[in-house]
Amino acid sequence: MAADGEESGSETATAVDEAAAIARAKAGDTAAFEALYRAHVGRVYGLCLRMTANASEAEDCAQEAFIQAWTQLARFRGDAAFGTWLHRIAVNAVLGRMRKSRREYDRLQVVREVHDEPPPMGDGGGLADLEQALGELPTGARQVFVLHAVYGFSHEETGDMLGIASGTSKAQLHRARRLLAQQLDGTTA
Amino acid sequence: MNDKRERVTEEDVMAMAGELPLEVVPKRDLWPGIAAAIETPAAGEPVRRGYADGWFARAAAVLLLVGASSGLTWFVMQDGGDGGALAPPADGYVFEPVSGSFGDRYTLGPDFQDARASLVARLDAELEKLSPETRAEVEENLADIRRAIAQINVALAEEPDNALLQELLINSYAEELAIMRRVDGITTSVMRRTDI
Repeated sequence: MAADGEESGSETATAVDEAAAIARAKAGDTAAFEALYRAHVGRVYGLCLRMTANASEAEDCAQEAFIQAWTQLARFRGDAAFGTWLHRIAVNAVLGRMRKSRREYDRLQVVREVHDEPPPMGDGGGLADLEQALGELPTGARQVFVLHAVYGFSHEETGDMLGIASGTSKAQLHRARRLLAQQLDGTTA
Repeated sequence: MNDKRERVTEEDVMAMAGELPLEVVPKRDLWPGIAAAIETPAAGEPVRRGYADGWFARAAAVLLLVGASSGLTWFVMQDGGDGGALAPPADGYVFEPVSGSFGDRYTLGPDFQDARASLVARLDAELEKLSPETRAEVEENLADIRRAIAQINVALAEEPDNALLQELLINSYAEELAIMRRVDGITTSVMRRTDI
């Protein structure tokens, strides 16, 4: 179960507001959709940022995810939490851009002029080290780790989103855990 | 001297992962680009139009918009700052098609993204150094270009093989990058003069 699906109890009022905003957005109310954007952009962008390890890519992916969400809103039935549904769209946006990047990297290059610093995430200390180490993981391991260990999706959900078997998701998680532990062991004293 | 230290275990890694904040605030507001892209179609309607009023008209509008934005920003920045003419970046970004074809899909490479991310990170600080009027103009034009980029991306989602849209996208990104570099350049120039 995704972490996003843990809304309950004290968040009932928020959930009602969200349901109303979704209904209004489905009717074409862009102000209502903006409210949904404001409520969810942090998680969507966080997911994109950790999956891409690139702030600009993550901004584009998050933007694309919300645009796609708007066009697909009529299909949202409420079977899953709105946030979970958005996350799936965001993951698709990330995977789509990564596929395009891989395909075109050899065909089109831009002269490198400046090097970016790693995007700031986390709250310093060990978590900052983990964020940095995450960005250096192999793509497959990073994506599984982010979806399963950070955002709480099951291996079945993770595999479904990434187009891999749940067993492969487990193997990638194991690999990510091992690599991260090795890396953090070298950076934490 | 104690050279013993705790080893980081895989269990530690999982525990730390659970402590990571799920929300990260993007450096810029993404809503203007989203709003521009969703203004036309109603929610739930696929973004699909006929040839005449579809991507071609949008692409043409975007082309004009990007050109106008770039020109306006160029004019403002020549007129602003210290009042002197600002030379265009002689070493501007050069896009080099490595093969003769863009292929069936297109996106900008990681080197471009690195360069763009770096400039975006510096942009706010550099804009602060401009006069309020110039800053407003530059921000407005950057917003125009980013809306254009969002619209082109939506159109490309429909027609990923469209070479004109691919060209428009790269041109729009190049315009955005050029404006950011000009901001970077002009404020550096102003700083030098202030220092004297």
